[in-house]
Amino acid sequence: MKGRDWGAMFAIVSKDIGAVRRAKGVVLPMLLVPFVLLVVLPFGIGLAARSVHNADLGSVLAKLPGDLAAPIRRQPAKQQLVILVDGYLLAPLFLIVPLMVASVLAADAFAGEKERRTLEGLLHLPVSERDLFYAKVIGAWLPAVAVSWVGFVLFAVVANSTGWSIVHRIFVPTKLWIVMIFWLAPAVAAFGMGVMVRVSARARTAQEANQLGGAVILPLIFAAVAQSTGLLLVSLPVALAIGALVWLLAVILLARGASRFTRDRLAATM
Amino acid sequence: MEAEQGEVVALLGPNGAGKTTTIRLLDGVLTPDRGTSRVLGLDPVTDGNGVRRRTGVLTEAGGLDDRLTLTENLVSHARIRGMGRAEADRRASEMLERFGMGSIAGRQARGLSTGERKRVSLARALLHHPDVLFLDEPTSGLDPAATRDVLDLIADLASEQGATVVLCTHFLAEASRLCRRVAILDRGRLLAFGRPADLAAGLWTGLPLDLELGAAADASLVSHLRSLRGVVSAASSEAGARVVVSGRDVVPAVVAATVTTETPVFSVVPRPPTLEDVYFALTGRTDAEP
Repeated sequence: MKGRDWGAMFAIVSKDIGAVRRAKGVVLPMLLVPFVLLVVLPFGIGLAARSVHNADLGSVLAKLPGDLAAPIRRQPAKQQLVILVDGYLLAPLFLIVPLMVASVLAADAFAGEKERRTLEGLLHLPVSERDLFYAKVIGAWLPAVAVSWVGFVLFAVVANSTGWSIVHRIFVPTKLWIVMIFWLAPAVAAFGMGVMVRVSARARTAQEANQLGGAVILPLIFAAVAQSTGLLLVSLPVALAIGALVWLLAVILLARGASRFTRDRLAATM
Repeated sequence: MEAEQGEVVALLGPNGAGKTTTIRLLDGVLTPDRGTSRVLGLDPVTDGNGVRRRTGVLTEAGGLDDRLTLTENLVSHARIRGMGRAEADRRASEMLERFGMGSIAGRQARGLSTGERKRVSLARALLHHPDVLFLDEPTSGLDPAATRDVLDLIADLASEQGATVVLCTHFLAEASRLCRRVAILDRGRLLAFGRPADLAAGLWTGLPLDLELGAAADASLVSHLRSLRGVVSAASSEAGARVVVSGRDVVPAVVAATVTTETPVFSVVPRPPTLEDVYFALTGRTDAEP
């Protein structure tokens, strides 16, 4: 197998990230959702928790898997609400961030090149189809993971600071958060990329790709929301297993996307 | 068809003829269903990157990313082509200066005029000193002054730097000015390749003459001219007659024969077939006759 041309790939990644940074129409919605989910929401919860003194969490904790509920039950009653919401229920909701950011960036990187009529110029450069494909995937995946991680740091700061007067210690990240951040979020971002790569092959504009991709990605967002409201609760081993499954799906989708990413096919859509 | 080093070859043809497709095939972007090609001795199908390392392409759309500055547009391609950061910066700066865009190098490509976009795109195509340059409609959308600049530049590239230029164009005058040989395509087929004069010789025999007689030639004069030795054809025209002779040596006899009928001859102008005549005759888009 021929080696990768890392120099060319780095140049493509830099170009894509540099271009996206200047696209307000892409950047603003991409940052707005994480800001609401990871800053505004925990801030509101932290404030609300201060005014709630005797929340009855028994029924909610009863639904939680034993290994998640046990550490919460061990906490004083007034701390349980903020630990439950910030430490556990919001964690799955957080997955919307890498999924959405990766999807938007992938649509821009693949369908957007067609829309801007810049794709043909790239195809006439001495870079292999695989290198071009992987560079574009990395160029969207890295920012998606970076936004997620930076967003999580902000979330942790907001959650711990607003909850400090109740909990009196740093309680985020929990083990579930660690799994979400380092295992599931990158997997979900890769999965979103895989879906959007396939969708972008058919779409002629980034907007069209986002619309088509939304049909696939929205159900997953609903699943994450359902999880966050306690309908679907997972234990750590299940979260790890789900992460492995998502990684597997992402690798399959991206591998299939790579095999279809040929100059012949791309030129046919220009 | 073939092109030699330092030659400018035109691909001519109407929309849908296959000009852009030919460039894509030669640069290894498309794989042919059948047939072969070699660019600089390399097979674009099996060594596409080898070919693309030594070619530069100006696509019809130009392909500039509006969100990047002019410098970034050039530097990103230079880096993808393997240049180091410092070299890419230096070459981008040199090329933008050369094309008169240095003063706005830090501006985003959004908002550039068509002419400016073409110049930046051409600068980008030349960053790596390509041996072969594929130019797809390089002057479309340009004003006359910008068109002249681009054509002068293409001529310089070929004559001074020895670059081989394959030029796709709708503009026959452009091809006539720059190219010794042309390829005429239509509906995906190569109809003819060669010098316009040679292509004309294959289509028509003889030298057309326009006789200006002050009025359309009457039937008896036309008939008289047709009877002369060396006259291939004769027909009345609005200002006189259009006569096709076998060679220049027949011209005095045609004039003499006309004068003997007491018809005044104001001028005799040879009208050798133009590239336009050849083009329209081959593509069948009109019933052109030289």
